[in-house]
Formats: sequence, structure tokens, C-alpha cells
Amino acid sequence: MNAGNFFNLFLSLGVLGLAACIVRKDRLRTIVITVLALLQSLALVACGILIQIHQTPIHVELWRLGPVNLSLYLTPLGSLFAVITAVVFASCYSFAAASHETKAGTERRANRTFLALFQLFYIAIILVIAAGDVLTFAFWWEVVSGLIYGLVLFEQANVRSVRAAYSALAMSEVGSLAGIVGLLILAACSGHTAFAAIAATKTGPGETARWLIFLLTFYGFGVKAGLVPVNQWLPDTHTVAPRSLSPVLSGATLNLGIYAIFLVNMKLAPVTEVGPGIVALIIGGLGAIIGIVYAATQTDLKRALAHSSIENMGIVTAGIGAGFIFWQTGHTVLAGMAFVAALYHMTNHSFYKALLFLGAGGIEASTGTHDLNKLGGLSRRMPAMAFLFLVGTLSISAVPPFNGFVSEWLTLQSVLRSVELSSRSVRLCFVLTGALLALAAGLALTCFLMIYASGFLGMAHSDAAQEARGAPRSAVWGMGALAILCLLLGIGPTYVIPSLDRVVSPITHTQTAEALVPNFFHVTRESPGHLNPGFVSDFHDLGAQVGHRFLPGRGLVVLHQGGKSNPVVFAMSTAYTLVVLILLVIFAYVIFHGLTRAREAKRSNAWAGGLPRLLPQMTYNFTGLSAPVRVIFETVFKPLRERTIETVGGHFRTSIRVEERQEHILDRVLTRPILAGLLWVANHFRKMHRGQVNVYAAYVLLSLLVVLLIGVGGF
Amino acid sequence: MGKAQLQRTDWHSIAAALAERFSAEARMELDYGRETWIVECPPGRLRDIAQWLRNDLGYSFGSLVVEQVAAGWEVTYLFPESTGKGWIYLVVRLKEGDDTLPSISDLVYAADWPEREAEDLFGLHFSGHPKLGEFVLHEHWPEGVNPMRREFAASQEAPRGRSPLPLYPSPILEAPGAMALPIGPVFSDFAESAQYILETTGEEMIRVVPRFFYKYRAVEKIAEGKRAEDVLLLAERFSGSSAFAHGLAFCQAIEAISKARVPRRAAQLRCLFAELERLRHHSSHIAAICGSTGLDVAQAQAAIIEEELLRLSCVVAGHRYLFGVMCPGGVSLDLNRHALEEISNRVANLGERLLALHDGLRYSSSFLDRIEEVGVVSTENARAFSLVGPLARASGLSEDFRVLFPYAGYERLKVQVATEEEGDGYARLRVLFREATESIRLIRELAASLVDGEVRAPVEPKPGVGLGTVEAPIGAALHWVRLNEEGRVVRYRVESPSFRNWLGFRIALEGFGFQDFPIILATFGLSNAECDR
Amino acid sequence: MLHWLGKGLTTGIKSSAYPASPDKNPGVTPGRPVATRMGPDMSQFVADRCPGHCFTPRANGVDVDYRTCILCNRCRRDTPAVVHWEEGYEWGVQMSAQSVHERLNSAFGRSLHIRFVDAGACGACMSEARLLNNPYYNMHRLGFFTTATPRQADILLVAGPLSDAMREPLRQTYDAMPEPKRVVAMGVCAISGGIFGKSFASAGGIAECIPVDVVVSGCPPPPLAILHGLLLVVNRVPPSSLASALDAESGP
Repeated sequence: MNAGNFFNLFLSLGVLGLAACIVRKDRLRTIVITVLALLQSLALVACGILIQIHQTPIHVELWRLGPVNLSLYLTPLGSLFAVITAVVFASCYSFAAASHETKAGTERRANRTFLALFQLFYIAIILVIAAGDVLTFAFWWEVVSGLIYGLVLFEQANVRSVRAAYSALAMSEVGSLAGIVGLLILAACSGHTAFAAIAATKTGPGETARWLIFLLTFYGFGVKAGLVPVNQWLPDTHTVAPRSLSPVLSGATLNLGIYAIFLVNMKLAPVTEVGPGIVALIIGGLGAIIGIVYAATQTDLKRALAHSSIENMGIVTAGIGAGFIFWQTGHTVLAGMAFVAALYHMTNHSFYKALLFLGAGGIEASTGTHDLNKLGGLSRRMPAMAFLFLVGTLSISAVPPFNGFVSEWLTLQSVLRSVELSSRSVRLCFVLTGALLALAAGLALTCFLMIYASGFLGMAHSDAAQEARGAPRSAVWGMGALAILCLLLGIGPTYVIPSLDRVVSPITHTQTAEALVPNFFHVTRESPGHLNPGFVSDFHDLGAQVGHRFLPGRGLVVLHQGGKSNPVVFAMSTAYTLVVLILLVIFAYVIFHGLTRAREAKRSNAWAGGLPRLLPQMTYNFTGLSAPVRVIFETVFKPLRERTIETVGGHFRTSIRVEERQEHILDRVLTRPILAGLLWVANHFRKMHRGQVNVYAAYVLLSLLVVLLIGVGGF
Repeated sequence: MGKAQLQRTDWHSIAAALAERFSAEARMELDYGRETWIVECPPGRLRDIAQWLRNDLGYSFGSLVVEQVAAGWEVTYLFPESTGKGWIYLVVRLKEGDDTLPSISDLVYAADWPEREAEDLFGLHFSGHPKLGEFVLHEHWPEGVNPMRREFAASQEAPRGRSPLPLYPSPILEAPGAMALPIGPVFSDFAESAQYILETTGEEMIRVVPRFFYKYRAVEKIAEGKRAEDVLLLAERFSGSSAFAHGLAFCQAIEAISKARVPRRAAQLRCLFAELERLRHHSSHIAAICGSTGLDVAQAQAAIIEEELLRLSCVVAGHRYLFGVMCPGGVSLDLNRHALEEISNRVANLGERLLALHDGLRYSSSFLDRIEEVGVVSTENARAFSLVGPLARASGLSEDFRVLFPYAGYERLKVQVATEEEGDGYARLRVLFREATESIRLIRELAASLVDGEVRAPVEPKPGVGLGTVEAPIGAALHWVRLNEEGRVVRYRVESPSFRNWLGFRIALEGFGFQDFPIILATFGLSNAECDR
Repeated sequence: MLHWLGKGLTTGIKSSAYPASPDKNPGVTPGRPVATRMGPDMSQFVADRCPGHCFTPRANGVDVDYRTCILCNRCRRDTPAVVHWEEGYEWGVQMSAQSVHERLNSAFGRSLHIRFVDAGACGACMSEARLLNNPYYNMHRLGFFTTATPRQADILLVAGPLSDAMREPLRQTYDAMPEPKRVVAMGVCAISGGIFGKSFASAGGIAECIPVDVVVSGCPPPPLAILHGLLLVVNRVPPSSLASALDAESGP
């Protein structure tokens, strides 16, 4: 079986899955659909792995439409995205297919049409990735946008969701338009519409054309990726989306934008100037900080996760921007490192964000709410879900040994490598972006710890949380699989980086794996290979060979070598760290247990200052925990506060109402002024329309005169 | 005309005005001895007269005394005139079985807490008061049992039996994520037991509801039936940090009933000891303010001054807190020339150290940052809530009972009243330093000019009612005593300055952050023991 | 900032030498009455006069019970026969043999955390308790520290006659403390209710609610007496007694 066969298997299973939605019996349908989806994803993963191993893309010619050849072209780059999508869908499918009981006891049956559209959505996303020419790409891109609109609107028809879906569609369409125009310009410049052909052309577009292509595609496809400043649709859409759709929206569709940007600007028309890289870098840094600052102050769990997606996409974009700049200045190894870091972060984000959104969906299924101020104490009611959500929290906060740590660390290290650049202004941009990324990382830890604490720890702040039943098993299974992946991706960077290298090196033409993962398992003092012997013996003494007897691969240490004065630029090993951590925990437990064997632990109520009863509203909730962030970043939020106090009898207050209204900083700084400007221009143009026939007749005459002058007079 | 005569003319004009407005309904008589008008008014006209006194004539509010008499209830509202002209008592009588009065708490804010206290302890209902209930007696106390009534014996056990309410006081803040954070009753290292509920959405205290009477020991109830000299022990010890002042107020009430004259030397000694106590109390207060902001060296300096004053009191008077020095008719011990010199020299030395401390604090900008413009009580609020003492004087009011209604030897002393305008924590600190310096000056003046004579006159117990008013270190204190024929106490009412000033605490807190709470608490320097009795 | 540093350094050391050597400074203690010899009539007169009924008249004098003595000074000012007073301050008394805990002494003798609870105390006891960390007494040099959470406290120091509303909070504070823990009641109010006695509002002492290990009498007990009580819990000083009897006294 080769990759092509697996791809066909994927498509056929997809069609079967579509057909299976007709089954009436709920349990049977759930099982059939889940099994089919799992098999489908397995097929796709196998396909992707085979493409990466053999480094041969799948090239399928479809039909001929006039002068254009429609084709499918799944490259190693695309296969990475396909594998990620497959894993995300596999973990969410059982949650989507299962029927959930709502709190009121009424069965909410997963709607069959929803499931059919969901399957179509899956196939459409893969076909966007596998598209081989501009027309196929554009077609399936539009299908994806349309399906997002339809799926988001599916279960609730209230004003909020309609508005969110509509804004997503509108912005997405404008973006698609810009992106497709960019692709068309690229096709026109190179004379082909097929991607393979465009990539193979020797002379690319000219300088202006390249800038135009970059700007159009970066803006256009950046809308889908959730880049600042065109991501206003993201928080609303992800919040109102049905609970099984949100993980996929965050985990799979945001990557499409990154795929498109990367494809156009590295594969099809590689960047030849520093400018695009700087734009991407700055936009990434701004996205990171704005995303996380807003995430830390949202009381709605899903909205906070959506803003956090903006932050993570910002980090990915910054990594890609850094890669562009390194590539353009000739540091190809560093470019490879930056791209690997960015793609690693994108992968990690897909997994842990899907994990967190599944958690949010599970919480909503058992408590009926995702307002953090109303949750609390859930770790006692749903211990498995709490543990897995904790894994997701630690991953997204970049805590070792989970995956978020590795990718953020690598991204920051790549940004730090800007010392090897010569241009001072470029280095300055790197420094600024690095500072923004570091601040964002710190805030992310704060944000997610607050979210976890107010959601799962402490006392339940509402009846809904107090009486929550266990989380739905379909969600917990999916979360479990993703959590295991998070751990594996965290302790196994030395396996992931070579795989990502297979994706990146055809584009950068360098071996990043060599630069990042030294082959400690296979070199010895006697035959050091590329490394110098003293170096090898030092690291073997430190234990870099531990595990070489039973583990495959190159080693467990990620290390970047420098020159003579600085032999090791950076090094780390999460696998060894995990081992040491486990040993330390065991050691501490043994010591503690030994020391306190004679003592008796006494349990009593929490100390509350002598209160007769501690009520939930007397304990900190999310709003209280996030108050410092709101106060520190007040210039960003600029909230409008209104306080109404009702008094009786002169000085007895009977009610104090505090209302706060906030406008997003991007709306305040960009959208509203732009709209105001456009309206101003439009208002002035309105003066043309006086409503009198004579005026319009005069316009007709005037334009005729102008045309005659131009045509006849030869201007 | 003599002062008394002048006052009588004023009084007659007031009487005329009263007659004009409220003619047949209010009956008034003037008690020349006490320089007090007693106005009998029906419950229906209570609000109008109270409003007229407060707004038109500028009377402040003193206290509300409820007495259970044979025919029902006798409720006396005490109104002192804010420039010291005299007092007006509004007496309202209710028949047996009728226990409803109109509330005046919307006109006279300072009557809010006395009315709530009367409702809890006596069962009187003040119609129109929006917040009656669970004030002195907390949730577990059953409804309908009122301990201050004659039928209830002090020695019986506290009744139990009610399940706790959901949350007292109920939160009124409507905002996303509003919380009601509790502080206390057991909190901090050496804080007095009291509870504060902070309604907040994060860093700012939007509404603060203090809850007191965790230290209620029913002083007014257990005093009933005791001899005056035993009740003096209670009067001294319910608030040990102002023991002498409260003891003095009680003795003045007893002396007013018996019309006893206190010898001049005794009166001067009373002033001296009162100022010594005020000096020590203010040093302790300054130490607390410095400690609350973390300026430990300044706190230690002020604490050294406080301890030296305590030791001085112990050496000259036999007790560190001046317990047992007061007695009806005078003081219980005399000071010889040596003792007076010692006192004079020591307080002079302490005065220099206080000034040095003030200088140091004046230039500590990190310290000033924490107390300047923090915990502001505006002049309007101070006047509206009838706040008293150094707290009110820091907010622009200049009322001091040593000047308005002089007692003991203060008639012959010219007390300089320290006033500041801003009403923030720094203003309160400056008032404390200035009053401490003034106390030192008064002590030295008294020590130098003490006349010879007896220090104690005999006091025959007589039936009757008397009011003793003093300027305690925290503010104006009123002790109302009614004795029967055997000289035993029938009714003992204490209006303490802390009880009055805690009412204004929440005004100072609201709008500031959590970190300012202990500092504002320290700059207020009030006592829960004095408030709760 | 330097100003305060200089101020602190130039003020020098003011700490009392107690318990290494007795503190004889004037004014550190108000003193208390001791058993005095006098005739039977005088004894009866003195016993009747005392508002706290502290004196037990005997044939040849009066004995004193410190559980109710509020230091009102009437026995030496208002009576023709003057009762003698002592100027000491070591007033701490163990209530039971288990009061002094061996392990507490050896393990925590020089590092004890105190949680203070105000069970209705008047300002005098509060003030004396706050003076424990005053430069003159400086309990830190003896290894005593205060803590705001009972979870980390070894000693519960209580003052006040136990007002009704503080019963439950005091009980909760005691329950929240881990073993080993000891309770020190300071002031006559915490022992017997003081002048507030037993009523519906005052329980008449904290022993009604929690077990008491060491009591320190006095109204208020001076800081040195409170220190004596605290040191007594860890067996660093010898105890005193709650009464003064004529046979025990060797005085006139």
C-alpha cells in the first residue's frame, strides 16, 4: 500500500461516513460513525507518514476545465497539516457523534445533518491542503468558509451566534478574495496554475509583484489564521460554535491560514527581501501580546481559549517571520530552525487547544455553562476531566515536560539567534518581538492557572457547578488521547524535530535535524562523526547516552552548537528532565512518608476567620483573580465604568450596580477609525447624488465628454 | 450679663420659637441647673422637631436613651448644641403595649445605630428604618427575646436555637463576578474581634459593611441594681484604654444627681490624669499608624513613648491604665510635689521626642504616600454623621467637649483645639501629634498651678438622673445614669465615641484597594471594646 | 530611610533582662495584694469591701484569691487596715499537670507561634498584649512570634470574658490548631469573667469553651506577667499560684 492508496481509503471512508449519517438508531449510528472516523484518520495518518518517509508527494490529475488542469498535490508540507487535522478530528469525532444529555434531562441528539456537514468539513479541509492548483484550492477554501458559517449557526439561532457567524463569513470572504487575487497574480507571473509547476519555475515574479503577492496572501490567509488585526471574528465565532465544533475550529482551521502563507511565501515564491519577514515578525508579536492580555480577562471559558488561540497563532507567525528573515539573509540553518519551531508550535497548539476545547465542551455538557464565575470545585465531581484539563493547562503554559515548553523554548531561542544578523534595525525588531513573546509567555501561565483554579478548584460558585454530573465519556477519551500526545511531543522533541525537518528541508535545502539533535546514541569517543571528540566525551559523561540500548533515534538531547568561544549555544532534554522529576517526586515521597509515619493527620474545615459558614460568594472567583491583570493593562482595555447607587433614607444603600463596557483595542484603534474614514468619504461622495434628474443628465454628458476627449484627443 | 444669664436669654428665644412652631403639641421646661431644655413631644411630632433642631438650629446628636418605666416607655433623645450653648432633651413617652416610634435616622444619620441597638435590645420598633435586625444580637439569638427589658434577668443563659441566616449582611453589589470577601472576626495579629464584609469585583472595595458587637458584654444590663461605686468599676473597665475618661464621665453623672461639688484640687487632678491618659492613648495610636504602614522603627519610637507613659502612670497612680484613680467626689489619691515634678519633667522630655518623631515622619515620603489622600472623610460627611473626636477634627469640625461643655477643671484652662481640613490619614496623624503636644502643655500647666485642698468630697447617693459628658481620647463620651432611692443604678446608658465614629468607617474605605484597609483601620484608631460595651 | 536606620541604632537596646534576671524598673507592674495579717474584724471588713470577693477572712488575717482580683486598689486606699501588696509580676499558673508539655518544650522551646484571640477583652488587655513586641519587652528575643493563622500556631493566647458571639469563633480557632497546642488565658476576665462575671452575654471565662492550660491573672496583667505565662508553657520558668495564703507567707 502506498500513500496514494491510503488517501483513496481516506476519501472512501469519508463517503461511507457521510452515508452512515442516515442511520436512525442513535447508539448504532454513534458507534458506526466513530469507528469510521477513527479508521479514516488512521488512513490519513498512514498516508502522511508514508509521504514524509519517502519524500514523494501524491500527484493526482483530476479534470480539465478549459485551460486549467485541476489536480491534487499532497506534499510533505501538506502531509504534516493533514496528520494534525486527522488527529484532531479523530479525538473530537466521538464527542460530536455521541448524544449528550443536557442538565435539564432532555436528550439532545446529535443532529444527523450536523454530522453529515461535519464529515464534509473534514474532507473539505483535507482537500484544501491537498489542492494542487489555484482553482481547486480556491474552491475548497470557499467550501470550508461556507461550512464554518453553516456549522456555527447550527444549533443556536439567537442573535449572538448569527452575528458571529456572519462576521466570520464576511471577513473570511474578503480575506479569501484578497488571497485568491494574490494567487492569481502569482499564477499570471509564472504562467502556470498548478502549484508543482509554479514551484518549479526558475524565475519568479518581479519585486513589486512579490510584495503584492505577499501582502495580499498574508492579509487574506491571515484572516483565517487569526492574525492581528483581522481576527475580530475569532473570539465570537469560537465562543458560539457548538461544543464539538470549537476544538476543530481552533485545532484544524487556523492551521489552514498558516499553511497557505507558508506555501505561497516559501515554496511557490520564496521571499527575497527582509520586509515580509519583519511584517510577519511584528504582527506575530503583537498578536501574541494582545491575544493573551484579552484571554486573561475573559470570564467566558471558550472566549478565553479563543483569545489564547490568537496568542498562539501570533507565536507561530513570529517564528515564520523569523524564518523568512534568516532565509533571506542566508542563514539557512537558522531559517530551518525557526520554521521547525513554528511548525512544532502549531502542532502543539492544535493538540492542546483541542484538548482544552474538548474540556470546555465537557464542562458545558455537565454543568450547562461555561462562565468561569459560575464554575468551581469541579475537580471533585469530574476527576478524570480535571486531570486531563490540567495536562492541557500545563502544556499551554509551557511547563516542562509537556509539549508547549519545547516549542516556545525553540521559538524564543530562534529569535535570540538574531545576534548573528548584521543589520541593526532588523535585530531591533527581533528584540522587540522577543520581549513581546516573553511577556506573552508569562501572561499565558497566569491566565491558564487562573482559569484552572476558578474552574476546577475551590468551591462551586453556582448550583449548576454544585450539582454537576461527571463529564461525558466521549469527551474524556478524546482528551486522554490528546493528553498522551502532549506528553509524548514534550518528552520526545528529538523524534519530532527530525520528522518536521523532513517537511522543512525540501524547502530550505538544509538539514536542521543535524543542527538541533546531535546523534549522541550512535557516536562514541572514537568515532565522533561530525562532532568533535572532546565535546562528545563531555556529554557522554553527563549522561547523554542513557537509553541508547533500547530507544531508537539519535538521542534525547536537543542541542545547538556554536563556534569555538561558545561551544554550546543552547541545550535541553525534556526526557531526562522527566526522569529526574519522577525520581525527585519518589524520593520526596519516601522521605516524607518516613519522617511522618508516627504522625496522625487531622482534617477539619478550611480556616475562615471564625465565620459560621463559608459561602462560595465569599471566595475568590475568576473576576477577582484577574483583577490585577485588568488594572495593570487598563490602558489597553480602557473600560467605561458606570456606577449606579440607590439610596434610601439618606445614607442606606439598597443597591450598587457597576456596569462595564469595553471595546477591543483593535476596534478602537483600527476598525472604528477606518470605518469612520470610509463613512466620511462616502458622505462626501453622497453630495453627488442630489436626486434631481438634471444633475444626473449633466453627469452623463460630462462623462461622455471625458470619454470623447480621451478616445479622440488621444490623452 | 453673666454667661448663665446670656444663655437664659438664648433659651427663651428658643422656647418662643418652639412654642410658635409646635405650640400645643410640645411641652417644654428649662432645667437651669443642668442648662438643659426638656421638651416633651408626642411621637407624631418627633421627626419634625428633630429636623428643626438639626437643620435650623444647628444642634448635633448626642444619644438615644430608652428606659422602661411603669407606664410603658420613656425615650429620651439628647441633642447638644454645636457651639456649646446647652442641651435639649426630647422626651417621647409610649404607653404600655405600644412600642413603635418613627425613625429619625434619615434626618439624623447618627441616630441610625442607637435605633438599631434599641430595637435589638428593647424590642422597640422604629418605623421607617430600613435596616433593623441582627445588630447587637447575632443570628443565633431568637426573635422576640429582648435582654434589656426588665423581664429578662441578666444572669440567665443566652438562648440558642436559630439556624444561621444565609449571609448577613446581604450583598447589594450587582456586577459580573461580584464577591463578598469576609475579614474576621478573628484576623490579623492583635486586631479586636469584628467582622468586615468587603463587596468587590477584584482590587477595589466597592462597599464595606462592618459588623460589630462580637464583644458585647451587656455592661448596661449588668449595671442595673448595683451600687454606684461598683458600677464605676464597670465604667472604667469596659474600655480599659480610656478607663479614666469613662470613669470620670460616670462620676460626673453621679455628682450631677447628688449636686455634689468637687474640690478644686480634685478637679485639677482629674484634668491632669485625663490629659495623661490622652497623651498615652495618642502615642499608642501613632504607633499603630506607623506599624500599619510597615515603618517599624517609627512604631518602636512611639511604642517606647507609650511604655514610658504607662510606667509613669503606674508609679504615680498605682496602675498602668489609671484604674482605680477615679472615685465619686474627686480622685482616690493625691500627688505630692515630687510626683508632680516628676510628671512635669518626664512629659516634657517625651514631648521633645514626639516632636522629633513627627519631624522624621514628615519627611518620610514612602510613609506619607500610604496615608496621604487615603481614607478621606470629607467635612460634609463628618458633619452629616456627627463624627466626634480627633477623627472629626481632622475633617474640619472643631467640636471638643473640653471647650464646648467644660467639665472638671477645664473651665479655667484654655484648651487649643487642633483642627485640620483634609480628612485623610495624614490629617488625622497631624491632629494626634498636635493634641498630644497640647496635652503635654496642659499637664505641665496643671502640675505647676495645682491649688491646695482636699482631693475628695463625700457624695450622698440620691435618687435622680444625671448626664456626665467628657472628651475621651477617641471623642465625646456620654454617660447617663438614673439612681433609685437606695442609690442603686436603675438605668445606665453609655454613648461611646467609638460607637459614633465606626458609623463613618465605611465612608473612608469605599473606593480604596484592599491594601489600604489595615492602614485606614489604623488611622481611625477606634476601639471595638468601647463600641460594643 | 537612613534617618530611621540612624534613629533605631542610636536609641540602643531597651529590652528588659527578664527572664535572665528580674526586671526592677519602676512601673513595670501594678503589683497585687498578698495575704496580710490583721484582726478578725478587720479581716471581715476587708473581705466585705472587696468588689471581687477576693479575700477570705481568717482568724489572723486575710487570704487572697487571684482568680477575681481586678486590681481596683480599694483594699489599700479605702480601708483603714491596709492590705500589703507585692511588686512582682510572675503571675502565670499551670492548671494541670499536662499543661506543661515536655515535647513542646524540647521541640519548640525557642520557637513558638502564638495566635491571639480577643474574646471580649477591654482595651487594657489588648494594649498589654500588643506591648509584648514593644522594644522594652521584645518577645521575639525569647522565641515567641505571632501568626495570623491558627494552622501554624502552637499557643492560643486569649483575653476577655468570652462574649456570647465569640464562643463559636474561639472554638473554631482552637479546633483549627494542630497538636501539640496549649491555651493561655490572660487577665482575670478570661479566668472568671472579671467584673463582667457570668451573664447571658459573657460566659464567665474561656474555660467554658476550651480547655485552659496556663492562666495569668491581673487586670490587666502587665507584659512581663504575660511573658511569664508564655515561658511557663514551655517550662522555662517556675510557676506561681492562684492564691496567696497566710501560712505560705512568711511576712508580718
